[in-house]
Amino acid sequence: MMRSRLWLTVACLLATMGTAMAQKKGGTLRVTHRDNPPSASVLEEATISTIMPFMSVFNNLVVFDPASKLNRLDRIVPDLATSWAWSDGDRTLTFQLRDGVKWHDGKPFTSADVKCTWDMLTGKVNGKLRKNPRKTWWFNIKDIVTNGDHEVIFHLNDPQPSIMAMFAGGFSPVYPCHVPANEMRTHPIGTGPFKFAEFKQNESIRLVRNPDYWKPGRPYLDAIEFTIIPNRSTMLLAMVAGKFDLTFTSDLTPELTKSLQEQAPATQCVLQSTGTQGNLLVNRDRAPFDNEQIRKAMVLAIDRKAFSDILSRGTFEIGGANLPPPEGFWGWSKEYMETVPGYGGDVEKSREEGRRIMKSLGYGPDNMMQLKVTTRNIPDYRDAAVILIDHLKSIYIQGELEPLDSSVWYARLARKDFSVAMNVQGTSIDDPDVQFFENYLCGSERNYTSYCNADLEKLFHQQSQMKDIDARRKLVWDIDKTLQADGARPVVFHAKAGTCWWPRVHGINIAMNTIYNHWRFEDVWLDQ
Amino acid sequence: MLDYILRRIGLMVLTLFGVSVAIFLLLRIVPGNIADILFDSAGLVDPAEKQQIITDLGLDQPLVTQYVHWIAGLAHGDLGYSYVSEKPVLDEVLPRIPITAKLAGLALLFAVCTGVPFGVISAVRQNSWLDYVLRVISLAALSMPSFWLGLLVLMGFVNWFGILPIYDKAPATWGAAILMFGVPAATVGFRSSALIMRLTRSSMLEVLRQDYVRTARSKGLSEPAVTFIHALRNAVLPVITTIGIETAFLFGGLIVTETVFNIPGVARFLVEAIRWRDYPMVQNLVMFIAIVVVLVNLIVDLAYMFVDPRIRLRA
Amino acid sequence: MSEVLYYARRYPLGVIGALILIVFVLTAVFAGVVAPLDPLTTNPRASLAPPSSTYLMGADMMGRDVLSRMIHGARISLAVALGATCIGSGLGAMLGLASGYLGGWFDLIVQRVAEIMQSLPLLVMALVITASLGPSLTNTIIAIAIPLVPNVARVIRANVLSLRELNYVEAARAVGMSQARIALVHVFPNTLAPLIVLATAQLGSTILTEASLSFLGLGVPEPYPSWGRMLSESAAEYMRSAPWLVIFPGLAISLVVFGTNLFGDALRDILDPRQGD
Repeated sequence: MMRSRLWLTVACLLATMGTAMAQKKGGTLRVTHRDNPPSASVLEEATISTIMPFMSVFNNLVVFDPASKLNRLDRIVPDLATSWAWSDGDRTLTFQLRDGVKWHDGKPFTSADVKCTWDMLTGKVNGKLRKNPRKTWWFNIKDIVTNGDHEVIFHLNDPQPSIMAMFAGGFSPVYPCHVPANEMRTHPIGTGPFKFAEFKQNESIRLVRNPDYWKPGRPYLDAIEFTIIPNRSTMLLAMVAGKFDLTFTSDLTPELTKSLQEQAPATQCVLQSTGTQGNLLVNRDRAPFDNEQIRKAMVLAIDRKAFSDILSRGTFEIGGANLPPPEGFWGWSKEYMETVPGYGGDVEKSREEGRRIMKSLGYGPDNMMQLKVTTRNIPDYRDAAVILIDHLKSIYIQGELEPLDSSVWYARLARKDFSVAMNVQGTSIDDPDVQFFENYLCGSERNYTSYCNADLEKLFHQQSQMKDIDARRKLVWDIDKTLQADGARPVVFHAKAGTCWWPRVHGINIAMNTIYNHWRFEDVWLDQ
Repeated sequence: MLDYILRRIGLMVLTLFGVSVAIFLLLRIVPGNIADILFDSAGLVDPAEKQQIITDLGLDQPLVTQYVHWIAGLAHGDLGYSYVSEKPVLDEVLPRIPITAKLAGLALLFAVCTGVPFGVISAVRQNSWLDYVLRVISLAALSMPSFWLGLLVLMGFVNWFGILPIYDKAPATWGAAILMFGVPAATVGFRSSALIMRLTRSSMLEVLRQDYVRTARSKGLSEPAVTFIHALRNAVLPVITTIGIETAFLFGGLIVTETVFNIPGVARFLVEAIRWRDYPMVQNLVMFIAIVVVLVNLIVDLAYMFVDPRIRLRA
Repeated sequence: MSEVLYYARRYPLGVIGALILIVFVLTAVFAGVVAPLDPLTTNPRASLAPPSSTYLMGADMMGRDVLSRMIHGARISLAVALGATCIGSGLGAMLGLASGYLGGWFDLIVQRVAEIMQSLPLLVMALVITASLGPSLTNTIIAIAIPLVPNVARVIRANVLSLRELNYVEAARAVGMSQARIALVHVFPNTLAPLIVLATAQLGSTILTEASLSFLGLGVPEPYPSWGRMLSESAAEYMRSAPWLVIFPGLAISLVVFGTNLFGDALRDILDPRQGD
């Protein structure tokens, strides 16, 4: 008894000492970077290559709680907005803004900057952004009114609780009104904990501490330096040799994560959901794929578990359009998934059924259907396509890979110029509004298979306006079930990838359901 | 002599003009332009926004206009702006040239310092086991993909020494700085070294068979002195030849080696620029490479004339 | 036959090279028979399997047999090497012959174009060409073949120039033979020896160029199991946990190129001693 109490005291003492020792100031965090970001403008890009290095230059109105492991609607905390309130039947959203915040160039931050940022994003003000990839997110914003320098009011067409999730994502920083867009692409100005210092194309990105940051005592680091190493074997060796503190987020496949930890056992690694999913695109306007039977047979040939086993040693999750739990919030529970056709588990039985369908259509071992499987010519896509071709063989389909250069790939998808394609696509926020409106709305730009179901669309809007999270989740499950049963865009896997750091790095908290957040680096410090 | 040089320079300009037209056209038959690539990263975007970029960058103008615009700019030292970074091409390229130049210079130095002595040894000890070993090694060097060699070297360093000789903007120690450039330079230079060794060996053999060496020997000069003074002088020619041939080859090796060792030089930059369809960048980089190759060839020819008067007569 | 034996004894290294090449070609031709497993079938349970009795050289990320992929990859390497060399040398020889024999403005143009092409490094040119044509087997062959043309054209032209002045060609001209006939019947056969030597010397460099292009992600695309492709991207990432993915294909490339170099050297000494270095 005495003894255990003593131990407790020692433990407490150690813990206090630990905190006392903690949070050293100074040092440069050295991070690897997987490729050259297309630009530094977070609002204009949709790639993690831009988000991870530049998120810490900015602040949002609100953010997903940086201390939480999951990005969820009920875990949103203030950032540049100190508080927010819904009114007018949840059609009006009012933000109170922080006082005394300065842009990196010394100008004060005001409500005008907020209005101007979202006027650009909704397309009301044209010509400032060269690209606006997330315009669809903000379709519900009617107008934006400022009330003094520290209050901004968003009027919505319909209630939409999920709009808070979009405000909280790393892709939605507030831009300064007075800085021209092209400067934001090459030399971004923000209010964030780090100032942009230098971006050398294909070489490195350097950020330095913002001494006037509005959050007292932050950030801890003097600087962050990203070194661009496109060759992953070189990057791995450099990490093992201790040249870097942190790897680029989700740059390591589950297998590579394991391999890195074997070579450098001291490193800490986290496997997280990347928000990307592999899905099968079948062009339902083109013969013979306009035949529902063939589409069904193809779905039956897919062995989702084999994809996960080969690509990730079984770590990729299986689910519908929304990310499955535990990482995802809106995806099916395991029990619910059992009830969805095609997710039963007995692949051989499904394939038998698939062969029966194909035989009834006149195909067989001596009369294989010939087709091209189109995909983007980068490893993530190609590897998945190779497995798909292998699986299609089981139902008398002889596929030939057609790898396309990135530029051609998107152009062909937009023109619907493909028969069967293997697609790997990312969603930056684990939210059904983002998922459904981007990909499954009739006529939406990214609705590559032209799936259109008017009844379902009503449900898309219905779930979007629901306030009760649990009831909404039930409806989302049902919608997702219909999508998969209709073969709108059969989802094959939800990808995961690893991020690793040396133990000298403290204060990193990875969100399990997205890679596009938690890169503000203001709580990160180095123990040197 | 002066006539010859002037004529060579005239031809050089003509060649470079041809290169400029060829590269300009080649880049324009590429399916997909920078606008597509820029939109890649963002998925699918509004066609109107895309059209705006195409107009902004002048991609909708006739080819001739675009070409004239480029060449006119070149004449004023204005290489245009990179599509990707929106900075002047010159600002992107200039800081990278010294890095690649240093690497290439070191690689050639390594090649000469190893190739010539081994070539001499091989020739003097013709048909000995040493000669055979050296010849097989040199042939093996010519047979290995240089990026493979680079990967193996990196792996070896990490395995045995626990360090990685990749590029570092501010190397901590002198040793680190030497490793950082020396190892990749040796990896690239390995091939050229083998080539120089082979050429040195065969020209040495030829010289050793000739009369004046025999005369020198009979005059009582000691064996090593004969070999080195007389024969080595003749080895200068193959070395010069190799440098001429190798500038072009070296560049290919540099591209993959800069990738493997993550060196931010011009060679790797070219690959990235090609991938991004950054026309202003690619066409200027290719022009730069062509100018270097043509200039080196000119210098090599002139050096040849200087070293070997017989060639002057032919010219 | 005795002649072959005579040369074989004089050039033992050449014999080794020839043997390597013979094995390489036979492997490529009979890949379907020789390969123990299907090179494209994936197997989740064999992902990154180390060498064993089933997978003699291990398996890759997707559980495909490395040995079988290498055996089938020999086809791609052979296709690229032969295709690019034949197209490059063929075109080069034709141009060289025509330009050397015809002379005049045609010669001048060919010379200038050759000079333009030679002012760009082989890999740079191949890179730009593949980038503009897109990645495929045919395009890779074309991209590697085109940079070979000027070199061949120049050597053949120089040869033709010296042949033109020879007595028997003059004689043929005096008898009133047509130009085309003289070129084809009398001049061309005499350029064959240097052409073969040159072509052999280039076999190796075509294989290396294909490997480099694939390494940079611009070569022959999946699912073709080309050696260069096997070395690139994902394979190299696992080089520490699964070194067999990097070592075996790299060895295969080096060995075959080594073979062509040995053979090429011997061939040059036999056919065209003057070209010796």
